[in-house]
Amino acid sequence: MNVQWWCSARGVPWRWQWQPYPGVWLAVLALGAAYARWSTPLAGTHANTTSAGRRVGGWVAVALVWMALDWPGGPLGTGYLASVHAAQFLVLAMIAPPLLLRGIDDNRVRALLDRNGVAAKIIRVVTKPLVAALAFTIVMLATHTPDAVDTLMRSQLGAFALDLAWFLSGLAFWWPVVLEVPVRVHFGPPIRMLYLFAGTQAHLYLSMWLLLGDLPKYGVYELAPRVTGLSALEDQQVAGGLLLTIGGTYVLAVISLLFFRWFAEPQPEV
Amino acid sequence: MPLPSRVVPVAALAFAGAILALAGCGVSAENGGREYRGAALAQAIPRPSFTLTDTHGQPFDFRAKTDDTVTLLFFGYLNCPDVCPVHMTNIAAVMRGLPFDVTRKMRVVFITTDPARDTPEKLQAWLGNFDPSFIGLRGTPEQVKAIESSVKVAPSVAAVPDSSGSYEVGHAAQVIAFTPDDSAHVVYPFGTRQADWVHDLPLLAQVK
Repeated sequence: MNVQWWCSARGVPWRWQWQPYPGVWLAVLALGAAYARWSTPLAGTHANTTSAGRRVGGWVAVALVWMALDWPGGPLGTGYLASVHAAQFLVLAMIAPPLLLRGIDDNRVRALLDRNGVAAKIIRVVTKPLVAALAFTIVMLATHTPDAVDTLMRSQLGAFALDLAWFLSGLAFWWPVVLEVPVRVHFGPPIRMLYLFAGTQAHLYLSMWLLLGDLPKYGVYELAPRVTGLSALEDQQVAGGLLLTIGGTYVLAVISLLFFRWFAEPQPEV
Repeated sequence: MPLPSRVVPVAALAFAGAILALAGCGVSAENGGREYRGAALAQAIPRPSFTLTDTHGQPFDFRAKTDDTVTLLFFGYLNCPDVCPVHMTNIAAVMRGLPFDVTRKMRVVFITTDPARDTPEKLQAWLGNFDPSFIGLRGTPEQVKAIESSVKVAPSVAAVPDSSGSYEVGHAAQVIAFTPDDSAHVVYPFGTRQADWVHDLPLLAQVK
């Protein structure tokens, strides 16, 4: 058996035969271990700042990341189907990061930031809303260009870098929406809603670009042996449709949630 | 007698050089100042003359039936897992989007390199999945090899069957494009994208 450590496009016909991806297992184990630590209340604090439901949501995110990267989703998305690739993007950049962030204990993050080490400095910079939104947009657009996809997906390291870039940029983007630390007094619910709307406009553009294209954009999927009855163009249209419907609905739901929570908050009397 | 260690790499380089020269080093050919995206041939291949059997069991005179058309000739087989279906899918998808004025003078001819398994019925059904206008031809292995030789592609080779009796057939991966001037100036290797076909097919149709 030819073992790959991370899924990449191989150009061979697809077979429904399980393949091990040890690199994916290690990455998911590392993510799970980190999440277990960061969702546990900090010693010396009286209560966890997050609820049981939120902590479970984080574990659901770990499971989703695993499903997105391991067989069969991983190899299908890297080498055969643009639609699965789009689903991977949704999981790694849009769905898993906020679920994970909601599950972690604010006190732990606060303690980390108070120590003011290198990690704290990096977090302060990359989670600044403007920086995070810009980085998220650049990563989203750059990693969906045909040249980037056709180059990166053909090597294990390239595919790993792409997955990591999605996940990290997703964490940075969702951080200011989900976590209250570091404290940003001017980043209240209305600005958060605006931030989410503005930060996902490139997502809208990307989905329409895939949906309305009259030729397949990516060689890696166009030249791959077909897995389903869909042509490469139809598969690409499904990818665009997934980004538009699932991604768009998801962002709209989060914005609505923020709005209703804000609306329900007691307003200061004038 | 074992070959000196330098001979093999030098021979390999010479062979690669010859192949590149034949394919015009991958530099696109020109047609009235517009470049093809396919691989240009240093020497044009004349449209061959041969007669094989079509999927209706009728003799098909290639030269007569494809005269004055853009003819895309490909050698492959139905159990081919990758190259053949991808080429056929991409050509069919592009032809569906081209004006009738262009496609009415185009022929896609698929010669099976596995006549033992590719029966006329299977060949017709398989090609029909891509485009009902695609023409499937069968002949004896000797006839097919002679045609492959005449159009300067590597001869197809069937591998030894495995325990289940299935086998793969090695065959040339390029589509040869004959133009109305009865010559092929360009070939399209595996990796040719739909965008390349969209660009080149109307140009090929303009060749007089």
